Amino acid sequence: MPEDILYSVRNLTVEYQTRAGAVRAVDDVSLDIRRGEILGLVGESGCGKSTLGKALMRLHTGPASITGGELWFDGRDLMKLPLNEMPDVRGAEIGMVFQDPMTSLNPIQRILDHLTETIHTHEPETSDAAARIRAEELAERLGIRRERLSEYPHQMSGGMRQRVMISLALALRTKLLIADEPTTSLDVIVEAKFLDLLQELQKEFGLTILLITHNIGVVAEVADRVAVMYAAKMAEVGDVNDVFGDSKHPYTQGLLKSVPNIRLGENELYKMEGAPPSLLHPPSGCRFHPRCPFVMDVCHTQEPAFEPVVGDHLASCLLYQKAGVKQESLNG
Amino acid sequence: MSPITLIALIVGIPAILLLVYIFVRGSTGLRRYILTRIGLTLPMVFILATLVFFVLRVLPGDPVRSALGPKGTPEMIARIRTQLGLNDPMIVQYGRFLGDMVTLHFGNSLTGGHRPIIDEMSERFPATLELVIPASILALVVGIYGGTLAAARRKRTLDYALRIYSVVIYSLPIFWLGLMLQLLFGVQLNWLPISGRIDPVIGTTIKHITNLYAVDALITGNWPAFLSVAEHLVLPTFTLGLILSGVFVRMTRINVIETLQADYISAARARGIREHVLVYGHALKNAMIPVITLIGLQVAILLAGAVLTETVFSWPGMGSYLVERISARDYTAVQSVITVFALLVALISLAVDVIYSMVDPRVRY
Amino acid sequence: MTEIKEHPPEIPAEDTSWEAEIQRVGFIRRILMARRWYGADWWFVSISAVMVVAFIVVALFPGLFAPYSPDALVGPRFLAPGQHPEIPVLIVPKDSSINTLKDMAAPEGQPRPSIAVVQGVPTAGALNEQAQSIDNQTKNEPEGLRLRPRIERFTSLEETLQAVIDGTVQAAVVQSTEFDRVSAQFPTLRAGASITGETATAGGFILGTNDIGQDVLSRLLWGTRVAIIIGFSASIVALVLGVPLGLLAGFIGGSFDRLLSLVMDSLYAFPGLILAIAITAVLGPSILNVIVAISVLYIPTYYRIVRGQTLSVKEEIYVEAAQSIGARSLEILRLYIFPNVIPSVAIIFSVNVADAILTGAGLSFLGLGLPPTIADWGIDLARGQRFIQTAWWMITFPGLAIMLIVLAFSMMGEGLTEIFNPKLRER
Repeated sequence: MPEDILYSVRNLTVEYQTRAGAVRAVDDVSLDIRRGEILGLVGESGCGKSTLGKALMRLHTGPASITGGELWFDGRDLMKLPLNEMPDVRGAEIGMVFQDPMTSLNPIQRILDHLTETIHTHEPETSDAAARIRAEELAERLGIRRERLSEYPHQMSGGMRQRVMISLALALRTKLLIADEPTTSLDVIVEAKFLDLLQELQKEFGLTILLITHNIGVVAEVADRVAVMYAAKMAEVGDVNDVFGDSKHPYTQGLLKSVPNIRLGENELYKMEGAPPSLLHPPSGCRFHPRCPFVMDVCHTQEPAFEPVVGDHLASCLLYQKAGVKQESLNG
Repeated sequence: MSPITLIALIVGIPAILLLVYIFVRGSTGLRRYILTRIGLTLPMVFILATLVFFVLRVLPGDPVRSALGPKGTPEMIARIRTQLGLNDPMIVQYGRFLGDMVTLHFGNSLTGGHRPIIDEMSERFPATLELVIPASILALVVGIYGGTLAAARRKRTLDYALRIYSVVIYSLPIFWLGLMLQLLFGVQLNWLPISGRIDPVIGTTIKHITNLYAVDALITGNWPAFLSVAEHLVLPTFTLGLILSGVFVRMTRINVIETLQADYISAARARGIREHVLVYGHALKNAMIPVITLIGLQVAILLAGAVLTETVFSWPGMGSYLVERISARDYTAVQSVITVFALLVALISLAVDVIYSMVDPRVRY
Repeated sequence: MTEIKEHPPEIPAEDTSWEAEIQRVGFIRRILMARRWYGADWWFVSISAVMVVAFIVVALFPGLFAPYSPDALVGPRFLAPGQHPEIPVLIVPKDSSINTLKDMAAPEGQPRPSIAVVQGVPTAGALNEQAQSIDNQTKNEPEGLRLRPRIERFTSLEETLQAVIDGTVQAAVVQSTEFDRVSAQFPTLRAGASITGETATAGGFILGTNDIGQDVLSRLLWGTRVAIIIGFSASIVALVLGVPLGLLAGFIGGSFDRLLSLVMDSLYAFPGLILAIAITAVLGPSILNVIVAISVLYIPTYYRIVRGQTLSVKEEIYVEAAQSIGARSLEILRLYIFPNVIPSVAIIFSVNVADAILTGAGLSFLGLGLPPTIADWGIDLARGQRFIQTAWWMITFPGLAIMLIVLAFSMMGEGLTEIFNPKLRER
């Protein structure tokens, strides 16, 4: 595996068992996360991005499970690890920040204890005093005054709690931080501060960040590269300027058009036709074909491969794939 | 010093100290909460005592006449009625009743020797305690551990087995369980005694200090007495404890399941905290909070169960006393016993609420 | 069986979803399809539903199932389950005209009849008793017949019977079961009537008899009626009183709510059985009083749950919306709050019936509540306790019956809770 790729996801499939049968929330998805980058993962609600995020730590329980694929993290396939060794990876090498910091913290546990517990879980030889010192330093680094560490979660503000979540995720030598909709519950100003913090962490610690969100603006601002998911499949991946400046997949194009833009002064908001498909009975061929403005006959029957269109810019669209011959995009 | 006073001191002094401590160290929120709870307890006892008073006064017929039976001449009846103040207007009687209850003036038994009721109760009450405390401990341990286990293994065989266990236990009439245990262990296997607190012969060697026979035996180093008490305790404790455990299993299971679905549990899992720490550490501790309040409510079931268990095993406690006195139409005694029960229930639920407020920091700050 | 339900990720499902499918099938199919979805909980509810129906049927028509009337003294006392009653019968030659002991009475002056018994068997005592009582009866009648038999003892059963054949004695008195055993060897003899007048039952009593000779099985089946009546009546009364109070308290609020809730909470916290004991002690033993006492216990349960639900529904936006377009309070109660409250009430009802039956049995076990003339499981248990050393069947079966019926109702309640409660489903 090339040195600059931290996490290589290959052909990942995650299934949920439901009343009506098995649903694939993530269907044969491949993605590379490079060291030191901020990778944005966007898509509508229910496209599978959160599921993908959780799968990176094999966090699923109950009716959801990974039914196929490989997870090459830092040179080893996590799928080959026995499940009871995953806790060693979680929190230590891969960390996760969740959407709602209020409910993500144990209401009857002090903040300091959250931190020291994490430290002790992964490094049990650490003395209580040493753990405490580390926790305090970490908190200070992230802008939390040490006196506040003995408080309970409900005594803190939303932004503060989100910082606590980050500090928890970084308590050890984390290489990858997965942020699942981290700013959705924050107001705009706090959100801005949070994003700044993320970029600082990236620069200072060389932290790799996977930022999962449905907010394209956030991604455009901080991400280096972006991945777009649609209906449990990967639609497009590439440098953020390429994907947003010169989108290849019609879905991405529609997505960008939907973002309200003050300057253009349009009277009506653009709306994509149709609705996201049921994952229980997905459309045949290309999943986007019922809504695609450029749909061709072959799209009804053949599934597009996820392939490079230009250099590192990949897309799964038959517009660029005709019998193995790549074509220039039909639309700039 | 009478045993009741002794027990009251042993329990009361630490309780008062604790309350003072909470008051001094606790935040205003906590203080306000405790005061409110104490404030609500009084009306509760008041209401129950009033209920008792009126319920027993609604009698068709004359309690004194039925108590004295055919031997009672009209003059005797009239004299006793005046003595007991039964001819006074209701309001006066009620006032006197309240005053008496507050000062623990329970009066004398209407029948059977006219013993002061408080003497009877100071023998009976420790007996009930001796039964109820080990039973509760058993029920809590089995119940909480079982419930958590069922929640951790949800939808798998152990969960269904434990759920069936709790439903079956709940449906088991406690008196039938007692009888069956008596049949098996007492009659057919002849391993354990089936009635009483202690072997009557050995019983004469006990010194009555607290009237908790086990404790008294230990204090005085009376080993054979201790063994005899322990023997007699096994079946009734097991009966009461087992039935109660069914309730706890169900309560704990539901609460732990709900707690396990909380976000902070998956967040903790994402930090690498191990499953068993999640279940028994985080989830259980959080789940215990609502369970604690429910435990307070179980006191009612405990007392009801005690009444039945004591009857089955001829255990001379408050429960069997109540039943006896009712059959003997001794209404003064019945009234006193029920008032004591009401007081007990009120105090325990107060204590539970206080503990709850200490455990859940969201209430504190 | 597919594993249990999971809500698919929040994609609006098309009409191929199971919700749409369900609308298209009939009720029965819906129940069967539910089995796939709810898994083991479906079994919980179904099995218990079948049991509940069975109990109700027995309660409605106990006479159809019970071999005897519950009060009838149909057999010897303390008969173990399946044990054949030992009844002393008169054994006579096949051609004899004698059938009962009374037939052997003769006028004064005639030689006394001889009757043979087996030595060491207590039939002689019964024979003497019967003979004496018949004698006392007949000598006062117009014919003035006397019956003072001579009792001849023989060492073995065979000798006893042989004596009848030989003519040494007019008749023999042996246990019916003994005679049945050897009757083939004595073809010229036949069994007449029992000397005590008890009827011989071919199969014995399936669950035995109690201390005064009543059939345990029949009492068990008839007891179902009492249990179900108490259980349902008490729960219905409590429901009828508790639900409206809860609705009102939740809806109106204010000091009415506070006061009522205080009373209800006090009642709820107090041990139910003890309250019931006090009430029945005051009102006296009768089935109606028991129902009243028990229903008082459960009013707070309905009250609290309904009040809680009412409070939470009241906060819902659609109620506010309805108020803003001028809907009257009663309409709001009826149209919005009441329907939301029904599922919880149904579950509580089921569990309540179970609890009421238990409490009722407890009351009669303690000797309070029901008059002793009614066949009831609790009373039978109390009776049985006195004979725990000798007659284990007297306490085993009534208790088992209580347990099964309570189990049926609680299982149903428990299963319904899992199915109705969305919080207990996995995400």
